[in-house]
Amino acid sequence: VTDLAPITTGRYSHDLLVHDCDDELVEGALSFVAQGLESGGHVLVHSTDECVEMLRDTLKPHPRLEFGLDKDLYLAPMSTLFAYQRQLAESTDATDLWAIGTVPFGEDVQGHAAWSRYESLVNEALGAYPFHGLCTYDTRALPESTIAAARATHPCVSTGDHRSPSPAYLDPADFLADPLAGVPRPPAERPAVTMTLHGLEHLSPARLLIHRAVSASALDSAAADGFVCAVNEVLVNGLVHGRAAVRLALWVEPARSTCLVVDDGPGVPDTLAGYRYPERDGSKGLWVARQLSGDIFIENPPDGGARVLLVTG
Amino acid sequence: MQRYDGRPVDWGGHLVLVHDTERQRRIGLAAWARRSLDLGAKVLYIEPANEPGDRSLLNLLRDHAVPVDDALESGQLEVFTASEEAYSPEWQEDVVDKALAAGYPTVAWSGAATTAWSVMSPSTHAEIEWATDELCRTRPVSVLCQYAATLPQATLQTVCAMHGAGVRESQLRTRPVPGGLELAGSVDASNERILRSALVAAAATAPSDGGAFSIDLSRLEFLDVAGARAFVTGTTPHRIKGGRVRLKGPRGPVDTLLHLLQVERTDGFEVETTP
Repeated sequence: VTDLAPITTGRYSHDLLVHDCDDELVEGALSFVAQGLESGGHVLVHSTDECVEMLRDTLKPHPRLEFGLDKDLYLAPMSTLFAYQRQLAESTDATDLWAIGTVPFGEDVQGHAAWSRYESLVNEALGAYPFHGLCTYDTRALPESTIAAARATHPCVSTGDHRSPSPAYLDPADFLADPLAGVPRPPAERPAVTMTLHGLEHLSPARLLIHRAVSASALDSAAADGFVCAVNEVLVNGLVHGRAAVRLALWVEPARSTCLVVDDGPGVPDTLAGYRYPERDGSKGLWVARQLSGDIFIENPPDGGARVLLVTG
Repeated sequence: MQRYDGRPVDWGGHLVLVHDTERQRRIGLAAWARRSLDLGAKVLYIEPANEPGDRSLLNLLRDHAVPVDDALESGQLEVFTASEEAYSPEWQEDVVDKALAAGYPTVAWSGAATTAWSVMSPSTHAEIEWATDELCRTRPVSVLCQYAATLPQATLQTVCAMHGAGVRESQLRTRPVPGGLELAGSVDASNERILRSALVAAAATAPSDGGAFSIDLSRLEFLDVAGARAFVTGTTPHRIKGGRVRLKGPRGPVDTLLHLLQVERTDGFEVETTP
């Protein structure tokens, strides 16, 4: 495996550190934090309470070094992703941000895929900024499938001192198509709501139907409003860029709601549209929708048209 | 009575009903007629001589269960056939003054722009519209003019400007307030160009010497990205001249969207959130 050059200041990097003991973690963290501080960057160390305490004892205090807890900073994948993006895109100083830590995969292995997708999409959403991530994965705590996903979502593997390209790395669009990404499918049951939209004048009744249906679930009022707004933006895209009629189907389950929007247009040229920070006068509909919904997946089926799946957080 | 946000819709003054579809026109017109009859107003309506039955006011009101027969019998409701004379300001003033002299507290008047255009040119009608705005300022008169939303943008702006009391659309209501415009209802990709026209027209009368044109959003329930763009494009002429725009009291999803889009970072904008 060829070693890569050290991390370049002013550019983006997203490295993976896989460790099976605390010493490897501490050694990698010391090296990464030292590089960040020596290059003049801001450094953030984030993880669980226990892990942050261990690293705080090891690292010397520094005015540009701060510590944070995943339970405060990493509440949900998409809100975390866009919070980082906003911080970087709207920052007025040119200082690089160096972040080392874990993502809160939690006990439920079924839920790991959402954070694995976050790891992949970091490359799309933050790739334009002077951001350096070193994500630490503990093999003692995480299943092999989650470690495999990490190898597919980080362009480089690192020990802190040495970096090399990850042979298993997949671009975000390819990762989302891989089973490791665990992209949800629409439920098999009959949808609670279906509707066909023939024009923009049908947006308002569609919103009313969706709002009524999701308000009956456990979703809080602000999240329900956000989901309705996200579906509205996707419907507008379908009606404006696709070809009417646009069909929607909505499934409401106690824990989450899923909405599928299908049109017969030419398809969406960039299925990752809306992850990058928009240009000043550029389209913002999907970028807003992605921040207001738990997840949005865009697919261009081989038989034509576009299929967009929205899932509440 | 049609209500928005739990409060009745104000149907007074010189209003424009902008509609995308015939269904929207019928719903808006029925709400206006019901409200006017409830208020005890004299209700006057102009139709073309050959109006098809499914578009005629009386059939439309019967379909919406508005009690037209009593109103016709008592003379509270009158339907006129369109003629050039029926659009002359003198004739209109005379009809209004007679109704007021007969004891009606107010007069409510409506007709479609296409009805006027069947007996006169659009430019002559536009002059009459400006005179009608004056009639509504000097007498207790409400005039609801019906226009299709498919008009060119520039025409729509003029139409909004000549209807000083605001726009009525299936989702959106605008109302002039001191220093600006109040919005109620929803703005999305289907009606953003109507909002844009209403804003251009309203902001044109606002001082641009550093003063702010305010857009009261406290009754706006939904806004999408296309609608938010209308705030920017609809106030561009005002801001280019140095004017400022204050978005007041956004609530719920409207506040969330404005926050995400950071409209306050756009030149000339400020957002005033109610605590």
